Amino acid sequence: MKTVWSTIVISMLALFCFTVSAVAKDTVVVYTALENDEIVKYLALAKKELPNLDIKAIRLSTGELGARMLAEKNNPQVDVIWGWAVTNMAGFVDRGMLEKYKPKNWNKIPDHFKDPKGYWTAIDLYAAAFVGNKRVLKAKGLPMPQSWNDLLEPGYKDRLIMPNPASSGTGFLQIASLLVMMDSNYKTRPIEDNRAWDFLKRLDKNMGQYIKSGSKPAKLTAAGEYAVGCSFAYVYTSLKKKGFPVQMALPAEGVGYELEANALVSGAKHKRAAKKFLDWAISKSAMKQYAKFKLGVTYPGIGGPKGLPPIATVKLAPMDFPWQSKNREKILTVWSNLFLK
Amino acid sequence: MNSTVTQDYEVPSRRLEIDKYVVPAVTIVIGLLLAFFLIFPIFSILQLSFFKGGEVSLATFTLDNFYKYFTTAYTLNALWHSLYISFVTTIFVTVITFFFAYALTRTTIKGKSAFRAIIMMPLIAPSIMQALALIYLFGRNGLITSHLFETDWNIYGSTGIIVSEILYCLPHSFVILFTTLSAVDIRLDEAAESLGASPLKVFTKITLPSAKYGILSAAALTFNLTITDFGNPVVIGGNYNVLATEIYSQVTNLYRFDLGATIAIILLIPSMMAFLLNYYISRKSFAMISGAARPFIPPSKTLKKIGFTVYNTLISSSIILIFATVIIGSFVKVWPYDWSLTLDHYTFPSIGGYSAIWTSFWISIIVGVVGSFVTLVAGFVMETRKPFFKQTMYFFSVMPAAIPGLVMGLGYILAFNKPYFSFYGTPWIIVINIVICNFTLGVLSSISNLKNIDPSIEEASISLGGDTIRTFFNIIFPLARVAFFQNFIYFFMRSMTTISAVIFLVSASVHLAAIEIIMLDNDGWTASANAMCTCIIAIVLVVLGISNFVNKRTISHPEGGALA
Repeated sequence: MKTVWSTIVISMLALFCFTVSAVAKDTVVVYTALENDEIVKYLALAKKELPNLDIKAIRLSTGELGARMLAEKNNPQVDVIWGWAVTNMAGFVDRGMLEKYKPKNWNKIPDHFKDPKGYWTAIDLYAAAFVGNKRVLKAKGLPMPQSWNDLLEPGYKDRLIMPNPASSGTGFLQIASLLVMMDSNYKTRPIEDNRAWDFLKRLDKNMGQYIKSGSKPAKLTAAGEYAVGCSFAYVYTSLKKKGFPVQMALPAEGVGYELEANALVSGAKHKRAAKKFLDWAISKSAMKQYAKFKLGVTYPGIGGPKGLPPIATVKLAPMDFPWQSKNREKILTVWSNLFLK
Repeated sequence: MNSTVTQDYEVPSRRLEIDKYVVPAVTIVIGLLLAFFLIFPIFSILQLSFFKGGEVSLATFTLDNFYKYFTTAYTLNALWHSLYISFVTTIFVTVITFFFAYALTRTTIKGKSAFRAIIMMPLIAPSIMQALALIYLFGRNGLITSHLFETDWNIYGSTGIIVSEILYCLPHSFVILFTTLSAVDIRLDEAAESLGASPLKVFTKITLPSAKYGILSAAALTFNLTITDFGNPVVIGGNYNVLATEIYSQVTNLYRFDLGATIAIILLIPSMMAFLLNYYISRKSFAMISGAARPFIPPSKTLKKIGFTVYNTLISSSIILIFATVIIGSFVKVWPYDWSLTLDHYTFPSIGGYSAIWTSFWISIIVGVVGSFVTLVAGFVMETRKPFFKQTMYFFSVMPAAIPGLVMGLGYILAFNKPYFSFYGTPWIIVINIVICNFTLGVLSSISNLKNIDPSIEEASISLGGDTIRTFFNIIFPLARVAFFQNFIYFFMRSMTTISAVIFLVSASVHLAAIEIIMLDNDGWTASANAMCTCIIAIVLVVLGISNFVNKRTISHPEGGALA
């Protein structure tokens, strides 16, 4: 009996050590806010093109990723941030938690898609979109909304869903675009007096739920839980491919968007490997892979995915990234106080 | 005892000398472990909520966080929501399980062992399964709400949380009430009946009062489980926030670790109170258990039998319905539009995927071995060696039950994410966290099992010259095999299914299956979340089956297993 037990314990310990020692290779630890299904595809390519790297990655929501970084500030566990909202990035540059690095082929990326000092480099742009469930809309006799204003129609009451801007990057870009578009004095007026809040209060009356993630409004709508979900563009094409009865509209007022960027974390424990990964992450082959999912990528000359309009034809909202990243916390506090119950 | 032995024998005396050091040493080591992995993290949370920037000094002491908490409408609402949900759930669960246990202990209905097995089922799945199933059945596009009754009513919000918590808490409350009702002497009921009391009178005047401590204890436990649960509310709560989800969103959305810590303290108060109530009651209730209790039950009237059979069948079917929904939901193409079967949802669209299931599995095995061994040693030292610090140690050992998993997880980040704690970011921190979070039940079951071992065996070992270490490994450990197996299973199940404790601790190199469920569901891959849930259930069932088999075999050959 005793020998049986000790065999079990020893083999377990051996197994454990084995698993831990696998980490000792040329590791790079990556935090990313890209969508899970995308990451699986990107990482498959990365493993082929970077055979010497052991890429350890975890997918976190936009909010969770920042919280992790802050929690680990004094003892960073991560080397690379991959595909995280630029709005959040700025605050971490100020906190001194990111390190300058200009990856190989940095010059190929247009200037407005990267930090001039090299703190971050954007890889893609993703845009807000309404996703409707054809069956639900038809059953309830509702038209597909074409603009934010359409969503105020009483018929949509409790059949709309949008992300919570505090936890979801998609949610934040939607709110930020409205704040900028609906109030020409957004820069000078105190945030809590922005004209857009009146609109959002009216929208709130129709809103069924504010949910944690940005893709979930579209997915729940596809599953028939809601009529229209405020989400982002790509998720629509993937749902359509899967056979869900969905249709898409880009908000007529202007399409809010966000850049997703990469950065090197200061105090990274595997700096050499991290730089290799960052080089790869803006390479043309990586960008081509991103382009299968994203409305637009920052590498010139690569078109977006099938089923989405080319980026040049989209009426983008006049996003003000420096302003929204400086005021992120304030915007979220006002939003939380107004709409969380 | 020591003095006579040392005078007569040379060798045993040296052994007992060692003994003198071993017991205090083991006590101190366990005490230090608890202080470091239980008290220190809690202290870090207190520090962050009461001191600006977490630096302890008179100048930085502040109540700002608490002021902010109580003056912000939606954070304060989370407290009322949590209390409301926990009260309602507690009442429902206690009543439901009381009659369920009553049927199994006081009536002669058929199929008792099946009912018992079914009501224990929720233990083998993460506390998120209930919510996943309820959305498939009663969501906006639920099978029952939208397709059977074509109504717009849906279960999101407080109703959803309450129903899912009820289904989750059933086994916990049932175990206590079943034990209580089996232990209370049934002859009292018979005596009252033969003296002419009506059945209702017997029930209200005899049965209920004699089970009152069990009822209170079950209620306190349910309250505690509900108020600290994170998985179900985060999935089905919708816009309805509770304290546990609010801690998470303050930390992860607004980066307010200080407010998160403050809410953790606020959550700690009601859960601590429920725990103390339970602690107080469970000490008293032992006095009620009569040694002369006997299991004979007089045949019940036909009407009573039918009534309770229907009742127990209803409760059991709702549990089975939940399991069936999740399992079937993981195999159909598009619930509820396309019922064709598929394995697509088992190709998990996430980084963790199958490696997460594997990691969960071996972490759980280690948690099982380490947890049951440590709690058995702790129980042994406290119960039979009665060290000087017994009371303190006992108090620390039962304290983890009062501390919500999410609070512990947050405390672990705050306390241990320092460069000199090299275990941070490794699987070990998760192992330690789960063992500590579930320490209470392990110790309590070890103690009660050790009570069953005849002390004369141990005395024999000592008088034959065995010291504490030998006695433990050669006598107690083999005899307490049942306790060890039970604890192993308990720790294994908890480790496979726990969400709240480890959600802050998973990392790029350690993905856990239960957390993957939350992530998959967050991203809207509900069917894959169901598939992951099904995998966990399958693994727990297989391990349960194997250990039952092994256990039965070793018990049927006691002389072979016991002293080998």
